Amino acid sequence: MALTNHHSITPGAELPPISKPISQRRIDCYSGVRPKSIHTDPEWAKKKGFAAPLAQGMMSTAYVSEMMVRLLGEGFIRGGRMSVKFVKPVLAGDTLTMHGRVKSKELEGEATRVVVELWCENQDGVTTMVGEASGLAAR
Amino acid sequence: MIEFKRISYQNVQVGEELVSNDLVVKPEDIDTFAYAVDDHHPWYFEQSPFGGPIAHPTLLANQALLMRHNKYIVDAGLHAQMQFEFIEPVRAGMRVRTRGKIIDKYERRGRHYMVTAFETTEEDSGQVLMRGQFTQMIFPD
Repeated sequence: MALTNHHSITPGAELPPISKPISQRRIDCYSGVRPKSIHTDPEWAKKKGFAAPLAQGMMSTAYVSEMMVRLLGEGFIRGGRMSVKFVKPVLAGDTLTMHGRVKSKELEGEATRVVVELWCENQDGVTTMVGEASGLAAR
Repeated sequence: MIEFKRISYQNVQVGEELVSNDLVVKPEDIDTFAYAVDDHHPWYFEQSPFGGPIAHPTLLANQALLMRHNKYIVDAGLHAQMQFEFIEPVRAGMRVRTRGKIIDKYERRGRHYMVTAFETTEEDSGQVLMRGQFTQMIFPD
């Protein structure tokens, strides 16, 4: 496996943010359309107390994955880890921006584990998800 | 035959096992996922360093999350926490299944939560592809 060289990755460095408009159509494709779903049935979402259908929190983990594959490539696909908390709902029509900052580099066997601190914000600057992800770089 | 119960804090039990349906990963699953999350990295459609195209690492996350729907009627659920460990890449053509176990349930600020540990495997080889743990809120009726 050809890993990214860790010398090109500096703790404290911010990663290029990733912005994602969250349309209902993308939510439908992610979650699968069905009645009585807070993700794809607007009336059911209202009944459960939400102004609009919610994007699954899991969609944001895909944006984390995209950011980490850009940073570490193979070392995230095989050896990646992620731990996140969903702190605010994401509604259809929101635009999310995923942010990441390199937190640390730690030796792990023959490789270096690169840990990234993550946070995701909506268009109003409200944090919707926080956490960490990591993957392997060449020692 | 499964007798589906409505999910509730009382009904779910720590130690209870959950399992997904089998899924044969299809190229169209990868296409749909790529559109849904707007991630069209060439490794998912062309060659990758792993030999041939692979799938997005979190493609099978919903297979894990939806395991409880195979036992319970779930009107709504909020996802509170997620942990993943990616072990081997997923590829089109694999037959995959996720198995899980409820490892905790708790109440916090008047809300009920369940915690599930899971492992996703390629069924033909037994190769573990991904494992992790997630916390879901159990919505009140």
